[in-house]
Amino acid sequence: MRSAAPVVNHKAVRGRSTSLVVVLLLAPSVALYTVFFVWPQIALLILGFKDKGGAFTLDLYLKFLSDPYYLRLLWRTLLMGFATTLITVLFGVPLAYLLARMRSRWAVFLLILTTFPLLVSAVVRSFGWMVLLYRNGFVSDLLQWLYITDGPTQLMYTLPGTIIALAQVLLPIMVLSLYAVFRSIPADLELAAMSLRASPAVALWLVTLKLAKGGLYSGSLLVFSMAISSFATPSLVGGPRAAVMATSIYDLTMTVLDWNFAAVQATILFVTVLTLAVIYGRLLNRQGGVQ
Amino acid sequence: MTFRLLSPLGLLILLMATLAMIYLLAPILVVVIAPFGDTGYLAFPPQGFTLRWYEAAFSDGRYLAAFMLSFQLAAITAVISSALGVGAAYAITRHSFFGAKALEAFFLSPLILPTLVMAVALTMYLSHSGLPVGTWRLVAAHTILCIPYVIRIVLPLLQRFDRSLEEAALSLGATPLHSFFLVLVPVIRPAVVAGAAMAFITSFDEVVLALFLSVPGATTLPVMIYSSVQLGFEPLVAAVAGILVCMTAVVMVLFHFFGLRTRG
Repeated sequence: MRSAAPVVNHKAVRGRSTSLVVVLLLAPSVALYTVFFVWPQIALLILGFKDKGGAFTLDLYLKFLSDPYYLRLLWRTLLMGFATTLITVLFGVPLAYLLARMRSRWAVFLLILTTFPLLVSAVVRSFGWMVLLYRNGFVSDLLQWLYITDGPTQLMYTLPGTIIALAQVLLPIMVLSLYAVFRSIPADLELAAMSLRASPAVALWLVTLKLAKGGLYSGSLLVFSMAISSFATPSLVGGPRAAVMATSIYDLTMTVLDWNFAAVQATILFVTVLTLAVIYGRLLNRQGGVQ
Repeated sequence: MTFRLLSPLGLLILLMATLAMIYLLAPILVVVIAPFGDTGYLAFPPQGFTLRWYEAAFSDGRYLAAFMLSFQLAAITAVISSALGVGAAYAITRHSFFGAKALEAFFLSPLILPTLVMAVALTMYLSHSGLPVGTWRLVAAHTILCIPYVIRIVLPLLQRFDRSLEEAALSLGATPLHSFFLVLVPVIRPAVVAGAAMAFITSFDEVVLALFLSVPGATTLPVMIYSSVQLGFEPLVAAVAGILVCMTAVVMVLFHFFGLRTRG
């Protein structure tokens, strides 16, 4: 039988040993983050403000913001982000709504099927799009068959082609964001609106979509920031002819070896994504406050 | 459904959802189906039928080596990131010292940073650092990429964990280490497994960091596919990608079958 005294001792020992355990548990990951994450990021930030000699300069930022070539690059990147987001909303809303409101056991299967592409490497999915989008490829034939175009269409190495592929890569993210929100909106609200003689379309518009607005915004921000910073799809489907910031940063780092300018573009991309993330966080907080 | 599917609105939603599903799955199916075509080049829809590209893919030593490297990388990353991630998450929740929230934000911050920016920063930093060249760089980078996933999956479970269980173990004379392994680990095991699986998949599929940091002669499978695709549309590459898709599908079905969902 244990006496009372050792128990007290245990507590005293525990107080000291737990703080030691905290330090030991945190030390490896904090060290790893500091050496390979925080410090390289700070170094990158500093590098963008240095000229070749190492002196402080703002010239590289001014170069990016004044040269029409780079402004077009920025514009193409943002355009790609907007168009990709728009497509994911267009397809994501109906799909997520249907999945959220379905009562059959197929719903789970369809949800798994929707998330499956997320597990397949973006390289593989982009490859699939390359086969589909090539001149005389399946999409080109389909467009002709539907009398949308007269001759073969080349979508490979174009911005529209990149957008088509990228929207598919990011669609599951939009569907998952919206699915959670649609699930949280009781279907009774739609029924209530319809019992007050709203048509189904009006009920859907005024009740469900209005309530899902927060999820729509946060999903859009997520897709937008992932679109402008994704590399594999623009690089494979778009190639050099549809260059965006991500591919430009890669070229500057790995082939041109202009690291200072690469650092500038990477920082601009990062700051953009960070701003979007802050807005995203605010939105999520506000959603949490409402519920 | 609150309204009939056979109304104009219902049909519109159904049509768009169907198109969305086709849109989602088309490029993946293409990669699996196209290599069956008996043409020397990749075509969709495929013409003829052959298994030779899939046979060639299975027996190609280069792709096999790349697969093995990716597999090892993913396995090591999964082990390290789940160990470090669980440790960090445990430290965050068990001890509500001031700054626990800040610590959580710190550990989750790689989620916000674009992988590309991280890859660029690491490439420049490592070239100046004088640290030895090797695949360990990729392990370190992937581990940072995966720790946030592990923490995000494990943390909610740890926060829900009833601390009195642990205190009971301690008051019964267990050392903190004993109580950790005997009381806590069994509770959080599903989340840890899910987190490790998430880390494995993320590391296995990851291409940007691998492209920037991999050592010549030791390329991962995604990088190998990326490079081959840029050179031309080989049916062989499509077959490799097709095998990858099928393996992912099998793993996903197994996961679902054994009830290991990522949302623990």
